[in-house]
Formats: sequence, C-alpha cells, structure tokens
Amino acid sequence: MRWLLAFCLAWSVSAAHAAEIAYTVRPTEIKAKPFSDAATLSSLPQSSRVEVIARKSGWMQIRSDGATGWVRMLSLRFGDAAAQKKSGDSGLGALFSVATTGGSGSTVSTGVRGLSEEKLKNPQPNPQAMKELQRYAASRQEALNFGKSGKLATHRIDYLPPAK
Amino acid sequence: MNRKLISIVFLCSFASSALAFDLGDIDVGKALDSLKKAQQASADIDESKEIQLGGGIASNLLGAAPLLKNQRVQKYVNDVGMWLALQTERPNLPWRFGVLDDNDVNAFAAPGGYVFVTRGLLAQMRSEAELAGVLAHEMSHILRKHYLEAIKKGARTGLMAEFAGEALKGGGADPAFNKLVSAGTEVYARGLDKEDEFEADRMGVVIATRAGYDPYGLPTVLQTLQGMNVQDSSLALLFKTHPALGERLSLLDRLMYGQFDRYENQPDHARRFMAVMGNTGILFHR
Repeated sequence: MRWLLAFCLAWSVSAAHAAEIAYTVRPTEIKAKPFSDAATLSSLPQSSRVEVIARKSGWMQIRSDGATGWVRMLSLRFGDAAAQKKSGDSGLGALFSVATTGGSGSTVSTGVRGLSEEKLKNPQPNPQAMKELQRYAASRQEALNFGKSGKLATHRIDYLPPAK
Repeated sequence: MNRKLISIVFLCSFASSALAFDLGDIDVGKALDSLKKAQQASADIDESKEIQLGGGIASNLLGAAPLLKNQRVQKYVNDVGMWLALQTERPNLPWRFGVLDDNDVNAFAAPGGYVFVTRGLLAQMRSEAELAGVLAHEMSHILRKHYLEAIKKGARTGLMAEFAGEALKGGGADPAFNKLVSAGTEVYARGLDKEDEFEADRMGVVIATRAGYDPYGLPTVLQTLQGMNVQDSSLALLFKTHPALGERLSLLDRLMYGQFDRYENQPDHARRFMAVMGNTGILFHR
C-alpha cells in the first residue's frame, strides 16, 4: 500500500511537470538569449500562456504562439492562469482523505505521514538520532575544501531591504 | 463574557491613564521597569542557551521524523550547509544539517544552528544551488532568531527569562527548558510570521549568491512547489505554515530584478547534486 501511494505520488508530480505550462504574471519581454542585454524579440502581455522548454539561472526558454525565446523565470508561474483560481486536484489529496477518514473533501491527512501536526504537538525526543546528526557535521576546513572543489567564488553582498 | 469585557476595558483605561497620572500607591515606574527587565532577559538569551534550546527542539523534530539512512547524502548536505554558514555573520555556531526520512515537502530550522530538509523536498530539487537556496533560507531564520522570538511570544510571560537565568546544565532537567522545548516544537505546526518568511527568502538568496551559487536556486524551488498541486497532502503543512508561494515569488521578482544579472553565470552544480542523489531512490524522474 505504501509503495502504491509512493508510486502514485511520483507519477502525479512528474505528470504535472510533463506539460510544463506556465503563464506570465506581468508584461514580459522575450529575449533571444538568456541575459538582460540580449536582443528583444517581442513582448508578452500579462496572463499569456507559454510552454516552458528549458531553464538557465534566472531565465526560462519558452514557446508561445510558435515563437521561441527566453523570459525571466520570475515573471512566470506554472499552471494555467484560469485554473489557478479553481485550484485543480491531482486526485492524491482525495485519495489520502478517503484512505484515512473514509470521507471526502478533507485535504489534511492524519496518521499517514511522519511529520504530522499531531507529532509536532506531542513531541518525543530522539537522543540517538541527535548523536548520529553530530557525526555528519562538517568542519570549517572540510567546508572550505568543499567550496574549493566546486570552484565556488565568494562575494561580499549586502542583504536586501524589504520590497517597497 | 460581559464581566471579562468590562475588566478588559477597565484594564485598558488603567494602562493608558497610568502613563499620564500619578497613581499614588502603585509604583508605575517600578512595574514598568521590571517588565522591561523581563523582556531584556528574554532578548538577551545567550548563545549557549540558544544552542541548548535548539538541541532540545531538534531532538523532538527527529522524534517526529527519523534521519535518512544515507551517510553520503547527509555528509553532502552538511558540506553545502557549512560552506554557506561561512558566508554569514554567525559562522561559528555549531551548524548541523540533516535530511529527514519523510515524504512531506518541508524544511525546518531550530535555534543555535540546526537545519533539516525532508527527503520529499530534496526530491523536488535538481541542483546544488537549489539545495543551497533552501538551506540558506532556513539558516536565515537562525541568524535572525525568528524561532526564539516566536517561542517567546507563545510561551508564558517570564518563562524565557527564567530559562535565561538558570545555570547551564546538561540532561535537560530544568522545568523552564522542557516547557520552552515543547513550545518551540509546536511553532512548526503553527508557522512563523509572514514577514519572517519574506526576510528569510531575501537573505537566503543573498547567502547562496555570496557562496558562489547561481542566485536563482531558492526561487526555482519555490516555483517548482508553486507548480505542484495545492491539494497534494505532502504540501499541507508547508502551505499552512508559509505565505502563498505566488506572493513569495512576486516579492523576490521585485527585489532581484536586474540586481543579480552579474551572478547568473555562477554554477548551479546540477551534476554534482545528481551524482550524490543518484541511486538513492530520492529523486523523482522527470
């Protein structure tokens, strides 16, 4: 049963992503290449439906009305602009509530998962796992070696102020 | 009910007039002074106490979901996390990172340097930059002591001051400690303030970028989750305890627009991430 549920979960998520349909949340320029000073091919008004092909850093390659180009990823949200309001259902939530409560319409599953609210409200410590956790800790030197092995160059950047 | 209301109204008028009038027998100055002291004590809970409290809360989290039995994955997450920690204002905290063996999509931070991410959330990621973004978001809650503030708000007045005043001793036998650990664990079911989450998003992006990663790791994870079904029960707790993903993405859009262009060529280390996660059964195949 557990395996079946895990399979259903994996299947529903990958299926949801296979379509990769997104929509613009603001007017957006389509660029020829994934950077800001690349040539602008055309622009999309808000709520345009696009098909996402690829991603590179802050950019997504999209197809819209036969044209292909790059837009800033943060100007997009996955899903259908119209469908967002009625919040679709993959069936998984319903499956869980039926399995656990015998009813339908509930979106919160109980007793199935480890990290349920009940467990957080009636916690039991796990000192054994705490010991194990300490064993995995990385030292400062290990971290420095790790950064070096990934050729990760550091920068001094201030934290961002809240958006106005 | 009526009597309660009347006493509240009375108390309010008393409180406001107390500042303006001399109340004779009642030493208002002294009362305010001791209130101030109590607040000061809870604000000034020292680092060793913060770590002790966080350890108790982390142990409870591990009681709710066990650690994933995969040493390579656990070591890798600690390497990424500690590398990030070195780019923050609190590099010397005893930072500990753990992957929880749980299908739920979520991540947690406990005071003093404890950061957890679930297997379910790892499964939604495709690169080290995405992992770094999520860890950096959680680390920001610790850097800014968001959980300590939330615990203080939820706990009985003075409990934090009581704990701060207790001599540090092992075993967790102090009654104030035990109460605060329970209160602290409950915060995960309730969630932090919206503003704390927005701040952790803003800081998380900066910390990951400072560490040399593609700045868009955290936004990418948020966008992936935004594309998942809102009814998916593995997201129930995350959705209940966090502001809407669309709102978080829109705020990051406004803040990051044009500001991070020069860091876009930083690596995301997708290949290294996949090499560690491959054959673990963690990743979904898309």
